Amino acid sequence: MSDLIGFIPLAPLLGFLFIGFLNKSLTKGWVSFFACGAVFVAFILSSVLFFNLLNAPEGQAAFTYTAFDWITTGNFSVSFSFLVDPLSATMMMIITGVGFLIHVYSVGYMYHDDGFRRFFMYLNLFIFFMLLLVMGSNYLLMFVGWEGVGLCSYLLIGFWFKNQDYNDAAKKAFIMNRIGDLGLILGVILIFVTFGSINYADVFSKAGEFPVGSEIITWITILLFVGAIGKSAQIPLYTWLPDAMAGPTPVSALIHAATMVTAGVYMIARNNVLYTLSPFTLEIVTVIGLATALFAATIAIAQNDIKKVLAYSTVSQLGLMFVALGLGAFTTGIFHMATHAFFKALLFLGAGSVIHGMSDEQDIRKMGGLRKYLPITFITFLVGTLAIAGIPPFAGFFSKDEILANAFAHSKVVYAVGAIASLLTSFYMFRLFFLTFSGENRASEEVKHHIHESPKSMTIPLMVLAVLSLIGGFMGVPEVLGGSHALNNFLSPVFAQSAQIAGEHHHLDHSTELILMGLIVGLTLVMIFIAYSIYVRRKSVPTSNEASLGAAHRLVYNKYYVDEAYNTVVVKPLYFLSKVFDSVVEKLLIDNIVNGTGKAITWGSKTLRLVQTGNTGFYILAMVISIIVLLVSRSFL
Amino acid sequence: MNAVYILSGLGIFSLLAEIFSFRKILFPIVLLGLLATAGLLVMDWNTGTSHFSNMLTFDNYAIAFSAGIAVIAFLWFLMSRDYFENNTHVTDHFALVLFSLVGAVFMVSYSNLAMLFLGIEILSISLYIMAGSKMTDLFSNEASFKYFLMGSFATGFLLFGIALVYGVTGSFDLGKINQVITAGSTEFSALLYAGVLLMMVGLAFKISAVPFHFWAPDVYEGSPTVVTAFMSTIVKIAAFAGFFRLFATCFASVSGEWVNVVQVIAVLTLVVSNITAVYQNSVKRMLAFSSIAHAGYLLITLVALNEISASAILYYVLAYAAASLAAFAVLHNVAFENENASAESFNGLSKRNPFHAFAMTVALLSLAGIPPLAGFFAKYYIFTVAFESGYVGIVLLAVVTSLIGIYYYFRIIIAMYLKAPETTTPVAVTTMHNVMLVICLLSTIILGLFPDMIIKLI
Repeated sequence: MSDLIGFIPLAPLLGFLFIGFLNKSLTKGWVSFFACGAVFVAFILSSVLFFNLLNAPEGQAAFTYTAFDWITTGNFSVSFSFLVDPLSATMMMIITGVGFLIHVYSVGYMYHDDGFRRFFMYLNLFIFFMLLLVMGSNYLLMFVGWEGVGLCSYLLIGFWFKNQDYNDAAKKAFIMNRIGDLGLILGVILIFVTFGSINYADVFSKAGEFPVGSEIITWITILLFVGAIGKSAQIPLYTWLPDAMAGPTPVSALIHAATMVTAGVYMIARNNVLYTLSPFTLEIVTVIGLATALFAATIAIAQNDIKKVLAYSTVSQLGLMFVALGLGAFTTGIFHMATHAFFKALLFLGAGSVIHGMSDEQDIRKMGGLRKYLPITFITFLVGTLAIAGIPPFAGFFSKDEILANAFAHSKVVYAVGAIASLLTSFYMFRLFFLTFSGENRASEEVKHHIHESPKSMTIPLMVLAVLSLIGGFMGVPEVLGGSHALNNFLSPVFAQSAQIAGEHHHLDHSTELILMGLIVGLTLVMIFIAYSIYVRRKSVPTSNEASLGAAHRLVYNKYYVDEAYNTVVVKPLYFLSKVFDSVVEKLLIDNIVNGTGKAITWGSKTLRLVQTGNTGFYILAMVISIIVLLVSRSFL
Repeated sequence: MNAVYILSGLGIFSLLAEIFSFRKILFPIVLLGLLATAGLLVMDWNTGTSHFSNMLTFDNYAIAFSAGIAVIAFLWFLMSRDYFENNTHVTDHFALVLFSLVGAVFMVSYSNLAMLFLGIEILSISLYIMAGSKMTDLFSNEASFKYFLMGSFATGFLLFGIALVYGVTGSFDLGKINQVITAGSTEFSALLYAGVLLMMVGLAFKISAVPFHFWAPDVYEGSPTVVTAFMSTIVKIAAFAGFFRLFATCFASVSGEWVNVVQVIAVLTLVVSNITAVYQNSVKRMLAFSSIAHAGYLLITLVALNEISASAILYYVLAYAAASLAAFAVLHNVAFENENASAESFNGLSKRNPFHAFAMTVALLSLAGIPPLAGFFAKYYIFTVAFESGYVGIVLLAVVTSLIGIYYYFRIIIAMYLKAPETTTPVAVTTMHNVMLVICLLSTIILGLFPDMIIKLI
């Protein structure tokens, strides 16, 4: 069984190499075949492992596979080995499953693009690195994957590199991630210093010797969390994700919604033992998650770009996942991550289908009435919207409700803020939905003429994801609704040690839970109704005249001017500092040292060369003198 | 031991080939003979037999170096065939080369100072003739004569040194000399010191270490390119292996007495050769200085003598020989008739012959010590040896000189790829050269990827 593991990341890597090397000689059909096929193989193998784990006897909760010893120096040794336990198996299912659907979708979406082959190359490479990230059995391998997906994200955001704005967006994503990565690598180094190993198994078993609240563990977890903040777009490093929408839409769905941005969630869940040992860090995680969830949700209300709304929604949902993690409800975080992968991928792909049908229009003010033009997209998008809004029995309901229930048990404030964020979510999502699909079409005549439903390769993934968004929640039906929470049971071995440290969790009684559920669903329906009355009954369309907006609205419309603030506080001083270094340190100091060394050696060479006169007599004389010096020198050396 | 018989037999066969005119089949027979030599040597692995009343000992050290020399000679013959066919009496020169190989084998396997001397002389006398093998070329004649004059001078020192050591210890046998020196309750006498030092001078001359290197640039430049390749690979390897064998076994117990001198020579060699090479415009002369510089790196192992020195040297010389032969082969083809080439004649080689440009690049990168090529690990192991013995200073210096080395090696690479060619005529090459280059390149890469193959041998 374990032997299969190596092939899972290998398949997309081979796909990448194959398409890369045979680039020009492959037709688009073959490129699609190899790219999708590679991910499909990975998906099948992941499923086999997944179901094996599901049926595995008690106690055998993980497979490991060591490909080779990677680095061995002194007391530091790392092997290139994989760990497949319930947590990584769940991640692998999402990465390869959703990844495969998005690959298929991209065949239709990117078909007329000149960079078709390059696109699939990057996409396969991304899947490879993402699998490394979740499958690695040590921090270094995770870090390689972590950096690799960052690279792919950069390449794909700037995929249409002829547009300078897109390049800037790609650079922004890369640089902001780099800040987070610095935290991550420092955390890993600190782990090595503290535990003397960077293998998960060693670290977690040794962590048991540390008391709860230990200072060094707090530092480690904070540093790791900095990495998660960058990768998962949390305050204050979230501004890259909305800009990352510059990439092709399937990329936004795969990388910037379903998989890569959830790497931070995975990483914290993987390190649950360390985080449980540091209640202080967990508080920080909760606060940051909560703030991000609310903050991003308010921004999303006033955005008019269909992908930007979804991007802020992603940031907000990621915030909710961190709230769950911060509350110590690791399973809940993973649960929401999984359902979010389904419905957010669906929404992005639906948005892609809309953009595709509307001749690359992304402004929802110019859409409207698309229901009759794009029936399949309409239905599936509706499913996605209901799922994210948390209407039962759609997937989002179960996972979001679980987060809120946990929050309520922990503190009423966390619950209230979380509830507000999720109510805002249902408002802006239905605003988006109504503006896009209902009413009259507001596009120009020319665009209107061309509107068409997308090809099958795009609509079929939409339908599959819609089904998943509909039934995905059933893997975690809570007890109060008569379920047994299969996911919880499946994942429990991974979090067993944490549960032991944290002790018994405070549980809500069933009646409170039901009341909360009813309350939130009722309020969500109210929010939907408000959106309906504004955007359908009153047919109001957001104005394009910024000056006519109220002050608060304008603040939100301009995303609280965070980008501008970063620009003034960080970017400009950095540029200034860079200029100073360039003109003083670089040009005056380093250049002179470097050029001086070169000149000195050239001069030395010119001079020494003259010793080589070509005169044999001189040569012999020089030798004789040298010998005499050496003989005499015995008394000195 | 069979190796010596086969090589000598091949040499005599070459001489007869002229008389009985089977010149045509001579070349393949020589190639087969060299492979057979290497094969027979490998079969003797771990036997450690002595011959001629303990004059030669084929221990693993001797076998590894002799087999290496046979393989390098094989490649060298592939490279130089066209030169001998066109310019000289092929049979005579084949015989000379084969006899000099016998000398080289003596030099790595001797256990008696008389055999060391004999080996050096057999090797050198053949070389004096080969350096002048282009009879109508004044430079070739000059090289031959200079080499002969200075070589005989150095041989004098070596012989003098051997005589002094004999005078003190009463033996030519390495083992006995070592016994006498180790057991000698008296202090290290001035007479013995002089003997050791004079032998060191004689051998330092052979490996062209500064300040006994003056002959090398002139002789390397004046000799035909293929002969230069022979001198800078096989001769250098044999000489250094002989040098190391003497000092690591015979005089190791009194290393405190001579190590400082070697250190001074190593430092001078590294600095002078690398710096002088920077300003050379003739590629052949640049390679000559580069070859001196590599002797400097090798000397570090003798300074920092420990149990892994020998393996480090073996790996180094093999890596160096593979890269060096490739570089000389390319130079040979680029310079063509005039036997010499400036850096400018490499301009735009990537367009005139992409494979040659690539081969030259790999060879130069390996010589410069860029990973993952063999040249990198060669330097790495030598620096490891020095580090383990605590010679940090000399490692730092060697790293700096390696950096200088990168400058002059990259000059050629830049010329090949970034400068416009002076002529557009493609460089004509024979299949044999391409085969030989492919073998050299593969060895350079494979040795770099799997250094353990060699490094665990002895």
